[in-house]
Amino acid sequence: MKIKSLWGKPPMKSSYDVVIIGGGIHGLAAAYFLGRDHDVRDVAVLERRFVGYGGTGRNTAIVRANQRSQENVKLYDEGLKLWPKLISELDFNMMFLNCGNLNLAHSEAAMGALRLQVSTAQFLGVISELLDAKQCKELVPQLDLSDRLTHPILGGMFHPPGGTLRHDAVAWGLAKGAAKYGTRIHQQTEVTGINVENGKVVSVQTDRGLIRTSRVLIAAGGYSTLLAGMVGLRLPIHVLPIQAMVSQPVKPFLNHVVSSGAYHVYCNQSLKGELVTGSHMDPWPTYTTHVTAQYIKHQAEALTELMPCLRGLRFMRIWGGLADMTSDMAPIIDGNDPAEGLFLDCGWGYFGFKSGPITGKYLAQFMATGSCPDILKPFTRRRYQEGRFIGEIAAPVYYGPWN
Amino acid sequence: MSFTITCPICGKRDLYEFRFGGEVRGPRPEEEGLTPEAYSQFVHMRTNPGGPQKEWWYHRDGCATWFTVWRDTLTNREVQKT
Repeated sequence: MKIKSLWGKPPMKSSYDVVIIGGGIHGLAAAYFLGRDHDVRDVAVLERRFVGYGGTGRNTAIVRANQRSQENVKLYDEGLKLWPKLISELDFNMMFLNCGNLNLAHSEAAMGALRLQVSTAQFLGVISELLDAKQCKELVPQLDLSDRLTHPILGGMFHPPGGTLRHDAVAWGLAKGAAKYGTRIHQQTEVTGINVENGKVVSVQTDRGLIRTSRVLIAAGGYSTLLAGMVGLRLPIHVLPIQAMVSQPVKPFLNHVVSSGAYHVYCNQSLKGELVTGSHMDPWPTYTTHVTAQYIKHQAEALTELMPCLRGLRFMRIWGGLADMTSDMAPIIDGNDPAEGLFLDCGWGYFGFKSGPITGKYLAQFMATGSCPDILKPFTRRRYQEGRFIGEIAAPVYYGPWN
Repeated sequence: MSFTITCPICGKRDLYEFRFGGEVRGPRPEEEGLTPEAYSQFVHMRTNPGGPQKEWWYHRDGCATWFTVWRDTLTNREVQKT
């Protein structure tokens, strides 16, 4: 049987209108919307490994729109509403499961933070509600409400519009869609330099030769700071290692994404029955994707404390990846600064999946017209020197027993 | 164990005993004539090299010493460099 490639293997050209560095969800979405909305079809996506390898491949594919800050909620809410349209438009099954997200709180401070967050969501028309401990147990009967827990459950926040998707399918679907509009996807192509002359981007150096272009988008996730460094640009980003695991498959029992800030754990049950679980990042920068025994132990302890029925469940796989974290937990989206034709889409940390297609849509508008859409304006790099930080760090997930 | 860090007092120990203190950024810039751009360069911007980096570590679960090491961020091995 001959398998037809979704995006082909086109020959490399020596120049393109737009070069996108990074063949993940963000880069591919920008390419897709450049073609769909703006008739910019001479686009190259350069990917060092393979489509969906980096940040796209390591993520746990949860979507939601219940962030803390108003700037973020607006973007993620639109992003959440875009999925069903995108799936039918691309004619690609991304396995969207609208199961809703439950965040647990284990201290009065965390309950206060949840109240604020629920208010923000409701103010912006996003469905999100505050629950007491008993209501949490009605949603997830496996939760242990007793005081045997180191940090007993006081309540939670339920966000019904959220859910999960299949991350590989999102990358493949977008790649297929982008290729349909003429984007050339070049895998196994490493960018080794970005050339700027007289304040304008002129070309991109790759291990397959020089590509002339006037517009470059850096959408390389954890490797964005290295690429920005090629034009002498420093970013407020730490590249931290993040790990995730899946368990053996079991009968369906968990109907929602459950997360807890104090225990540093979140998990959901995949359509196949596996528990997909993730947690905090290790707080030191690295470009390796090592996994650690401490992490496995931490996850096992946290999960079995919250849901004692999980004791004895076996983990099947563990993997690590990079997260490009900014100090205010919000992304850096910028264009024509400091060089004309240089666009940035990075610093997403572990929010990159939820925001991928919607950011690509607005970034495409930015790149095609040259003017930044209002919804992306708060996320410039210069907000750090202007003191306009985005308060995402005040979200309840960062509330532990220490506050 | 992910990798080890060598404390000047306690020697080579498991990474999880330490707290990372950021890349070495040099001295705080002079107040006089300091622009918001230069100040944010010092406070927020990072180099994040893919390779050897001089960085601060704190031996949290040990002797409580702050010290610097050179570590290669591509391998997590400490490297000799001054």
